[in-house]
Amino acid sequence: MTTTTKSDAQQARVILATDCGSTTTKAILIQLTDEGYRQTHRGEAPTTVEEPFADVTMGVVNAVVEVGELAGRKFIDDSGKIIQPATETEGCDVYISTSSAGGGLQMMVAGVVAEMTAASAKRAALGAGAIVMDVIASNDKRKPHEQIQRIRELRPDMMLVSGGTDGGDAKHVVSIAELIAPAKPQPRFGSGYTLPIIYAGNKDAAPRMNKIFEQGFELLIVDNLRPVLERENLGPARDAIHDLFLEHVMAHAPGYDKLMGWTDAPIMPTPGAVGNILQTIAESQNINAVGVDIGGATTDVFSVFDKTFNRTVSANLGMSYSISNVCAEATMPNILRWVHFDMDERELRNRVKNKMIRPTTIPQSLEALVFEQAVAREALRLAYIQHKEFATTLKGVQQQRSVGDTFSQETGGQTIVDNMKLNLLVASGGVLSHAPSMNQTALLLIDAFQPEGFTTLAKDSIFMMPHLGVLAQVHPKAAMEVFERDCLIYLGTCVAPKGSGKPGKPCFDYTIKGSTLNESGQIAFGEIKLLPLAEGETASVTVEPGRTFDCGNGPGKRVEKTVKGGTVGLVLDGRGRPLELPESREACKPLISKWVEAMKLYPGMG
Amino acid sequence: MGNAYTPGLKVVNRITHQCRRILPIPGKVLVSKGDHVEAEQVVAQTFMPGDIMPVNLANLLSMPPSDVMECVLKKVGERIEVGEPLAQTKGIFGMFKQVYKSKDAGTIETISDVTGQVIIRGEPIPVEVRAYLTGTVTEVIPEQGVMIEADVSFVQGIFGIGGESFGTIKMAAASHEQELQADMITPDMKGCVIVGGARVWHDAVRKAIEVGAAAVVAGGIDDQDLKKILGYDLGVAITGTEKVGVTLVITEGFGDIAMAERTFDLLKARVGDFAAVNGATQIRAGVMRPEIVIPLSEEEVKAEEPAKLDGGMLETGRPVRIIRDPYFGLIGTVAGLPSEPQVLGSGSKARVLDVKLGSGETVVIPRANVELIEG
Amino acid sequence: MNNGLDAPYPTLTRLTQLSFRLSRAIMCLAVLPAIACLAASVAMAQGPAPVTNLQSADHPWDGGDNADLTWEVSADDATLVESYFIYKAMMQKGPIPADLLTESERKYALVDVVPAGTTEYTVGSVPGSGYVRLKDLSDEQRALFDPNDLPDKPHKKITVELGYLFKIVAVGSDGSQSVETITAAPYSPTRQWFDAKRMYLLIITIIFGGSVVFFIQHARAGKDLKIRKIGGLAAVDEAVGRATEMGRSCMFIPGILDMNDIQTIAGMTVLSRVAKTAAEYDAKVEVPTCRSLVMTSARETVQAAYLSAGRPDAYNADFIYYVTDEQFGYVAYLQGNMVREKPAACFYMGAFYAESLILAETGNSIGAIQIAGTAMPAQLPFFVAACDYTLIGEEFFAASAYLSGEPEQLGSLKGQDVGKIIVGIGIIVGVTIATLAAWFVDTGFLTTWSEYIKGVILT
Repeated sequence: MTTTTKSDAQQARVILATDCGSTTTKAILIQLTDEGYRQTHRGEAPTTVEEPFADVTMGVVNAVVEVGELAGRKFIDDSGKIIQPATETEGCDVYISTSSAGGGLQMMVAGVVAEMTAASAKRAALGAGAIVMDVIASNDKRKPHEQIQRIRELRPDMMLVSGGTDGGDAKHVVSIAELIAPAKPQPRFGSGYTLPIIYAGNKDAAPRMNKIFEQGFELLIVDNLRPVLERENLGPARDAIHDLFLEHVMAHAPGYDKLMGWTDAPIMPTPGAVGNILQTIAESQNINAVGVDIGGATTDVFSVFDKTFNRTVSANLGMSYSISNVCAEATMPNILRWVHFDMDERELRNRVKNKMIRPTTIPQSLEALVFEQAVAREALRLAYIQHKEFATTLKGVQQQRSVGDTFSQETGGQTIVDNMKLNLLVASGGVLSHAPSMNQTALLLIDAFQPEGFTTLAKDSIFMMPHLGVLAQVHPKAAMEVFERDCLIYLGTCVAPKGSGKPGKPCFDYTIKGSTLNESGQIAFGEIKLLPLAEGETASVTVEPGRTFDCGNGPGKRVEKTVKGGTVGLVLDGRGRPLELPESREACKPLISKWVEAMKLYPGMG
Repeated sequence: MGNAYTPGLKVVNRITHQCRRILPIPGKVLVSKGDHVEAEQVVAQTFMPGDIMPVNLANLLSMPPSDVMECVLKKVGERIEVGEPLAQTKGIFGMFKQVYKSKDAGTIETISDVTGQVIIRGEPIPVEVRAYLTGTVTEVIPEQGVMIEADVSFVQGIFGIGGESFGTIKMAAASHEQELQADMITPDMKGCVIVGGARVWHDAVRKAIEVGAAAVVAGGIDDQDLKKILGYDLGVAITGTEKVGVTLVITEGFGDIAMAERTFDLLKARVGDFAAVNGATQIRAGVMRPEIVIPLSEEEVKAEEPAKLDGGMLETGRPVRIIRDPYFGLIGTVAGLPSEPQVLGSGSKARVLDVKLGSGETVVIPRANVELIEG
Repeated sequence: MNNGLDAPYPTLTRLTQLSFRLSRAIMCLAVLPAIACLAASVAMAQGPAPVTNLQSADHPWDGGDNADLTWEVSADDATLVESYFIYKAMMQKGPIPADLLTESERKYALVDVVPAGTTEYTVGSVPGSGYVRLKDLSDEQRALFDPNDLPDKPHKKITVELGYLFKIVAVGSDGSQSVETITAAPYSPTRQWFDAKRMYLLIITIIFGGSVVFFIQHARAGKDLKIRKIGGLAAVDEAVGRATEMGRSCMFIPGILDMNDIQTIAGMTVLSRVAKTAAEYDAKVEVPTCRSLVMTSARETVQAAYLSAGRPDAYNADFIYYVTDEQFGYVAYLQGNMVREKPAACFYMGAFYAESLILAETGNSIGAIQIAGTAMPAQLPFFVAACDYTLIGEEFFAASAYLSGEPEQLGSLKGQDVGKIIVGIGIIVGVTIATLAAWFVDTGFLTTWSEYIKGVILT
């Protein structure tokens, strides 16, 4: 691996980044211009990790060549390698890459108590960008033989075993290890692959682990991820996952050894990189952010609240392979709530199944689009619920009480996701970023996530976040600049007070002062209003919510904030939070029609 | 979405079909290269390590885990039978000894002094792989399995449930547009591959299970019928392990949709022939579609010209099937391939093609929404 | 004898009076058969015309403690009569031979004074319809009486054991009295199977019982009954989990009272849950008890819980043991044990006294998650302040329904809640009416209801 010192990287003028997805390899070029770092060109090519090519670098080279042609630079030398460092016309200073090819990093985690060390282990694995196939815990209600069955069935790339606080329980974690060792999970990469196991549990049990996993495993012992129940220490386990990902998993994927030799920073799993950039942004701007990536099969939700990062993968909530599952989980009536005209339910069900078996089709008619977006709303809503349930404070922690808590004894493990504190909501993924109109993306986000107070909405223009995530490790400044200028397309800001009222009664008064937009008025409960506020513009918005509504400063309290404009503009949402739709379909339709009209969602529709 | 169109499903009269039959773990291959194998013949077998049964002796005999080692009567690696004493406590002055008799047979895998747990590994589980394809072994992969090749008629479906099954082809529907109802299935269809026309009703599938049919092939199925058959709503199209009693192959898709005439005619032409059917479908990475494989006799091999599959380029004049509403299920030919993306009714921009339908009408369809009819 | 009427009697006086009246009654009874005298008529010579057709009848749907009187008004009702005086006399049950009891022997007591024009009256036990006290009378009326005729305290209730005669005297505005009209035969009340006065109780019972049945059916039908989340019970998993992760034990203390205390029983319900969770997590639960019976019950409970968790092999009876009956001996043991063994979770579920704070503070100092539950009002503040979670009174008793999630238990819990709401509303309405009635003295409606509440519901 080439090692570039940080100081070199800081001087970089030309940065090349690739992301090897399961179908496409995307390359982007970042150059130092007069305005600072900008993303200038991009290119893509099919990923070549599977037969008949079986060499990931071929796809990388193809994508890079495309970028080179567009930029008028030569990046690949005659031997097929990336030219480094950059000269006036050739090569790049920094080359980085991420990968999710071949299904990404699939892991199995184990812990003692499902809600405590096992949850921490899951958090560590997800945060590192892995797909968690299953969580084994001593209280997962499965009999030991069922657990063994499961371990044998799944074929993880790696396992993370944790459990017990330092000096605490050894019995349970050892007994789990004793189950894993004879069960001998069969790795995906065939019999030549020794399964890497990371042990991040009670340090007293480490010698036992060495003995248990002596043969046939690659054991790496790191610091306990829950040294005491009150504190999580996920860093070492995450780093270990990244290291083993490179050393073992990547080394077994065709062509990766070569690719690893080219990059200036370790190759990261794509979702790990996305989490990285989101964390960097949230930290540097001191904001709370949520990112979502909705794909065909899964939906990833990332969040940073009060500097705590969480990521969840909702397997089976997606828009093509998993669309039928979304319909099964959300149920048809819940999806149809969002559709403002009549549709034949039986036909829709069949359409959904047809999309599942032919996942690459796209909606041709407007009706089909409206329905697909309705499904997307539910998929996102469910994924966000799962995320909220997972992103919690630590469980098993002693509570400090006073007599004042008599009637409000909150339990541990409360969600840390608070929509009122949310500042930035970033969308990416086909159905969101390829929606014909950005207004659709914006309302989709608002309906599914229901942000409260003032929330800036944005979308990832060309799914550049993974590249920037790795770049943030070697060149945070360049990553930040590109993120701000080129990565995000600001859709606008949503202003939505929390609370409920009677339809038609006043919800809040607003006064907007800006260079182009100067308006004041009142929003009634159940009303949504779209005001134009172009990208790059800001305006000062004062909101006086009604008695039962809260816009951030408490019920009925005035709030004044500067908001960002965007391609959609300023959305004043008086529909209340939680957003409640009437039960009956007949009552729902005119309401949704009204909102669709107010948001100018489907201009082509009568 | 890398592809501009979905590669079509294969429906061919004659094709040289290869099939890889591999054991999940290394074992013994029973045939050798050049052998002729029958579909139901076992070609490789092995033994999976048996299930493991943990026995917590510390709890069962009420003693600290550290004492377990001394009390176990067997050593690691030794065999134990049901009812045989596994451990005995020391008792008090040699009296009041407690004995634990094993409830499982197997070999002692480990004894732990931390958890007080003894792990017994049960009998090995035999695993067999059948040939599936009647044909010739072209390659033996030592300890793993074989490659089998044969000239066959081959029909790919779009979606199926259930695993591999075998039977003779029997037509239940008279035309490719006839729906498959329960009364069309008769007891003499036992062990057969029943071919229907358009939509198959759930009671027809029930009836097929009742009479003991091997498989049902039909053009379409309603979502609710599938739910009734499976007992749950299918969320992700990864199938093949269902145990419903019959293998089901759908050739076109969900809804009231007729089987493609070509498919129907091909199957009709092969009535009475032996076929291997697999309903396993996997739409994510490593696409797997359900299939009906009908081995050809030698005479037939001579009579039929092998189909030329050119992998499929989208070009004017090629037959295509529209695979998304509003023209779902219609078949036409490519009439034009405008290179510039066009704005669709939905408002999005995409590359499109003109399709001339059977009725003579020409419609504009996004390229992602057609599939080639191959073969 | 009568001058004390207006003031509450000191207990001693009351006793004296009682004994006096008792002796008088005995004397009366003794002499009744023997003496037959003429009653000394107090009728005035020139009074208004008497009432006619005085009838006494049984009051329907009562417990035999009322009598309905009807009469026709005096001929001078519209002119001379100002009020009617109603008297009651007590005698033995059954027809009494007239010769055995002369008019004078009958000791009449004034029951009430009703205005002219009245034609019916119910003599009974309801205050205001049973007796008259001196202070209730106007000065003129008072002058008409020998104070001795007035009762010094409420009449004995009308009962089915005795017979009663009633008489009515019409009194003119000048104080002149008519000839008295006496009921023809002694009236002896009968008792019905249902006391209509207690109708409210029937209605409330039906509502209470009905709502319990309704909610049980509702829950059985699969409808979701929302029960407020009880933090303390939800945290059992967390506490046991903590013990598991830290490789320590859970300590469960079932209070210091015996099994006959309802709190100890409620504690056993919670123990069952704790033990089941511990069995699932494979954690150790230690239950030191201070009563032998509690130990036995706890053993049974824990064993059943381990069985239902499918881990009967992990049950060890030695962890559930008896310490001492001595309150502070027990506490000293617990404290020592906690400091030495440092359990990761402590449960205090049962009846606690002075030891509550000692235990909770010790537990807090060793960093355990502590969950307490008790219905001892005085100990609750200590638990609330020193423990992580506290089940307060009712919550503690609701635990079994909450934990089991069975429709029967949830339904009855919900039904009881309805009852509590009704009682709550009743208290508020009653207090309001009573307050207003005291404020606006002369409002018929308020007074009637206030009297009803005081006389019927609160008696």
